[in-house]
Amino acid sequence: MAVAQQNALLGPPSQSSRTLLRVVILLFIAGAAIASRLFSVIRFESIIHEFDPWFNFRATKYLVANGFYKFWDWFDDRTWHPLGRVTGGTLYPGLMVTSGVIYHILQALTIPIDIRNICVLLAPAFSGLTAFAAYLLTNEMTTSPSAGLLAAAFMGIAPGYISRSVAGSYDNEAIAIFLLVFTFYLWIKALKLGSMLWGALCALFYGYMVASWGGYAFITCILPLHAFVLICMGRYSRRLYVSYTTWYALGTLASMQIPFVGFLPVKTSEHMPALGIFGFLQLVGFIDYVRSAISGRQFQAFLITVLVATFGIGLAGLVALTSLGYIAPWGGRFYSLWDTGYAKVHIPIIASVSEHQPTAWPAFFFDLNILVWLLPAGIWLLYKELRDEHVFVITYALCGSYFAGVMVRLMLTLTPIVCVAAAIAASKLLDTYLVKSPSQTSTSEAGEKKAPKSADKTASPLGVSSMVSKLTIVGAMIVYLLMFVSHCTWVTSNAYSSPSVVLASRMPDGSQHIIDDYREAYQWLRQNTKEDAKIMSWWDYGYQIGGMADRPTLVDNNTWNNTHIATVGKAMSSREEVSYPIMRQHEVDYVLIVFGGLLGYSGDDINKFLWMVRIAEGIWPEEVKERDFFTARGEYRVDDGATDTMKNSLMYKMSYHNYQSMFPPGKAADRVRGVQLPSEGPVLNTIEEAYTTENWIIRIYKVKDLDNVGRDHFSAAAFDRGQKKKATKKRGPRVLRVD
Amino acid sequence: MKPLSIATALFGIVSTVLAAEPRQSKDILPKDFKPPQVFKNANLVHIISLEKNYAKEQINAVIENVSPELQDEYYVPFTADQLSRVGGFEVKDRKDAGAGRFVADVAEYDPLSDVQYYRIRLPTPLKAGGQQTLGISFYYLRAYKALPALIDQTDEQYLSYEFSIYAPSAYPTLKQKTEVKAGSAKIPDYTKLAGTGDVPEYPQKQGTKLTYGPFDEKPAGASSPATVRFEFTKPVIHISALERDIEVSHWGGNVAFEERYTIQHLGANLSTQFNRVKWAQSQFMNPNSHALKELRVPLQVGSDDAYFTDTIGNVSTSHFRSNKREAVLELKPRYPIFGGWKYPFTIGWNSNAANYLRRTATGGFVFRTPFLEGPKQAEGVEYEHIDLRVLLPEGAQNVKLLADIPESSIIEHTVGLHKTYLDTIGRTAVHIKARNLVDEFRDRELIITYDVSSSITLRKPFIVFASMLAVFTLAWAVGKIDVGFSKTKQA
Repeated sequence: MAVAQQNALLGPPSQSSRTLLRVVILLFIAGAAIASRLFSVIRFESIIHEFDPWFNFRATKYLVANGFYKFWDWFDDRTWHPLGRVTGGTLYPGLMVTSGVIYHILQALTIPIDIRNICVLLAPAFSGLTAFAAYLLTNEMTTSPSAGLLAAAFMGIAPGYISRSVAGSYDNEAIAIFLLVFTFYLWIKALKLGSMLWGALCALFYGYMVASWGGYAFITCILPLHAFVLICMGRYSRRLYVSYTTWYALGTLASMQIPFVGFLPVKTSEHMPALGIFGFLQLVGFIDYVRSAISGRQFQAFLITVLVATFGIGLAGLVALTSLGYIAPWGGRFYSLWDTGYAKVHIPIIASVSEHQPTAWPAFFFDLNILVWLLPAGIWLLYKELRDEHVFVITYALCGSYFAGVMVRLMLTLTPIVCVAAAIAASKLLDTYLVKSPSQTSTSEAGEKKAPKSADKTASPLGVSSMVSKLTIVGAMIVYLLMFVSHCTWVTSNAYSSPSVVLASRMPDGSQHIIDDYREAYQWLRQNTKEDAKIMSWWDYGYQIGGMADRPTLVDNNTWNNTHIATVGKAMSSREEVSYPIMRQHEVDYVLIVFGGLLGYSGDDINKFLWMVRIAEGIWPEEVKERDFFTARGEYRVDDGATDTMKNSLMYKMSYHNYQSMFPPGKAADRVRGVQLPSEGPVLNTIEEAYTTENWIIRIYKVKDLDNVGRDHFSAAAFDRGQKKKATKKRGPRVLRVD
Repeated sequence: MKPLSIATALFGIVSTVLAAEPRQSKDILPKDFKPPQVFKNANLVHIISLEKNYAKEQINAVIENVSPELQDEYYVPFTADQLSRVGGFEVKDRKDAGAGRFVADVAEYDPLSDVQYYRIRLPTPLKAGGQQTLGISFYYLRAYKALPALIDQTDEQYLSYEFSIYAPSAYPTLKQKTEVKAGSAKIPDYTKLAGTGDVPEYPQKQGTKLTYGPFDEKPAGASSPATVRFEFTKPVIHISALERDIEVSHWGGNVAFEERYTIQHLGANLSTQFNRVKWAQSQFMNPNSHALKELRVPLQVGSDDAYFTDTIGNVSTSHFRSNKREAVLELKPRYPIFGGWKYPFTIGWNSNAANYLRRTATGGFVFRTPFLEGPKQAEGVEYEHIDLRVLLPEGAQNVKLLADIPESSIIEHTVGLHKTYLDTIGRTAVHIKARNLVDEFRDRELIITYDVSSSITLRKPFIVFASMLAVFTLAWAVGKIDVGFSKTKQA
């Protein structure tokens, strides 16, 4: 290595030493990409983060323990009680299978690595590969030898990608972004060569991508769009025909092997563009053939007839099939991509997820930094050349920018192309101002393909020879790049490296104090409740309860059944008299809520409460009304001024039950909402406090069993408190199920 | 560390020498076995100490051979229930400290009988009419019942213990006395007996001590059930399973320990659900509680890199102090453990191999470690099952081991193979299963001797190197193969 570097510094390097140098640089980039994602492991521990990763982790453990076929047929009766979930058929297995395979390989080599550590470190490991894929993709775009390496470096540390791939963030995106970039690389390669081999490889990786992430639809739409744009630009070629048809035929077959996808590629609107372009290409191919066979005038008439007929028949067929129900119309998430207010009105459950919110503009700068302004420059440079693959980058960048603007989460799909385009711009700039003066270019060897090209560039009038401008520009560029690095490090360290299961705070002496209430509560549930005790909580915590507490839940983050979630929302937002029968019907044993009032932890259930109300209102507009939770002046309050509906709701009662006794009389305060609470705390009759964690973040309540002597819980609880019964009413016989 | 000579000398004096091969089967007694009436207890003092959360019983007996022949087998009876809970059975000669511990084991006969026996083999047979003073000590696990069984989280906890006022014996006893030392001076209930002589009533109570007797001659098997109930506002810690793994690495110069505990609180359960407000207040005002809040695990000096985890990750509420004088791991479970609650966890640490490993003059190795290193609590810790596994280096041979704990506590021990970290033949794994031990056996040692040849030590680096080389060669060879179609001009 050292020798190679010396060579590179001293004289014109040979091709093999260049290759070696490049490999070494790529290794360093991969190392940097991995290292920058390890903040959370170093600060906290090797732990699975957030919510969805806990499910993936649990599924992976199931896969490793039970083998692939059992995993494939996995029916999980420990979630969505009492419905259960056909987990094996409703997930993207790519992630779990990947870590399962890695695990078994390591086991075969007798390296005893815990499956948890594999899961935690999978995302950083794949980020190294993503950097490499970005290098390959960029090399297809430009002849500049440095652009690929720059793109790899950008890809490795861009916060937009790090946000979903830090160690512990064991989510589908962890491997999907690598697959996305690599599939695009293979597509470009196939298109350039018109090669069936590369097209088939592209389809293979597309299949892997489909198995891994729901975002595969992005590829399914971008590739046809690219093909369509090319045709419209009059760039139809055999190469396009071969590569597209190979990819579509094999890729669609591959994607249909995933049970969760199944027949969607021929049944839903999202997949129709790909099918349409496939047909369109056949047509164009046919026309192309006919044109070579018949004369010009005949051809024109032929062309118009065929085009109009096909388009008309196709469109009519699509409309007819859609209205007949053979093809599913666009899904709700799709509509919310065009109208950002759509979800809030029609599907509150989608809108309630923070990552589905429209992106705030500063987020672009936050996630991409200098790449944001390098992107247009890169696009412009590509536009000047505008080969087929450049059209791809431009199409991708335009679509990606739009989607990233409407949904925070889609910043992820934009990032790779921004890195590619920005690297092209930056390398062009650096090449122009940095690379050798004309006298030196003659010495650059001809072995490298790129060498003659760069020689042309520097020889052209664009070349800059003034030392001052060289120094200024290169110096400025270096400063920007350094700022980019420090920005990325800062963002990663401060914004994206918190496991959110564990909270960190500072002791007065500056040492780190870990607030570990979540795991305290989950471990308590795991050890000290019945194996099949059903836990009701808001869906956010479903996966964590399944993963850490190992107890059945009513709803979880796989929000497939809106009604079931609304039922939980209704139980939380109604009076005890309404909630208790709901909980009994669902055999709920414990209710778990998150309460941040004591600590000032703002992500608690009272702050999420309005979403529960809204989602419940969507199903039971008569029984749950959002308006009732606001005061006459339209304020959302929890103090003395709270509405009666609010004060009587189960969630409010559970949050503040017994809380007043922690404070001197009349001094109880909620540190999140920053208000004084009423001096009288709420009274719970049908449930009782079972466990509260050290900092009160998690409160667990036990649902009382029916009273031994047949009283209702209100009189029983009143009796226990020593209150006299006011009037005796005749009651019917004791019933087990109250509807 | 003590010099090696002491370690090797230990082989001589410790009674329990285990060979590496499986133990030979015991001779099984006939079904209708009754201990031959060849002894009598001339004098017997039975001390029951209930100060820890296990019961320790000591029987000091002057035994006398009343038969005309030499006798060397003395039997101690237990009920079937007691036999499953008794452990740490040890016998010494009270008069002769140098005689070491006597061999004692469970006499196997009818498994359905309610009376079972431990058999003590006297090292030198007792001649007719001869006397010997035996000091028999053993422990009962799961010894108490909480009474009341449900209490509030700030209440005091009371435990009751059932025993026999007359010491269990298979032989007639001429004179005996039973002392009960309770966990505290608060003893609200205990069985009372009419006194004899100038004592109006048994027992006599002095502080925490109750004394029954002395009684005059009682026949073999005499028993008089009694109960004592005393205050014990401390956690009743019961470790239902301990898995202790020790990995000896010659290359790393390191000994890695990992212990997995399944801990349970056998005291009174909570009568109402756990109340955090009350708990926070009682922590502040009255830290005395029957909940388990903290465990202290003193480790060998020089231990390092300690960790404390459970099934869902690191438990951040632990402290590890390691300096020249001590290494203490202070564990705080995620939640206070009340009666009936469980908390399984894992701890582990590393230590320099030099502290544990010695080379003998003949080129072999001696590895010495405490058999148990669990928590050291004022209220005591009991272990129901212990599964100890020592991984020796790959290719270790001639394994001999010696465990300084009562032989009757060891269920089985085997030497097998375990593959890990790129092993090809597997490491020699010594596996010992023991049961019913208490933390008083913390300082007992486990000594293992073995031989490793240096060629086998170099085996692994060589294999790793060779396989890497093979992979590279293969990759190079595959790269040389031209799998493409013959190049034609691109259209």
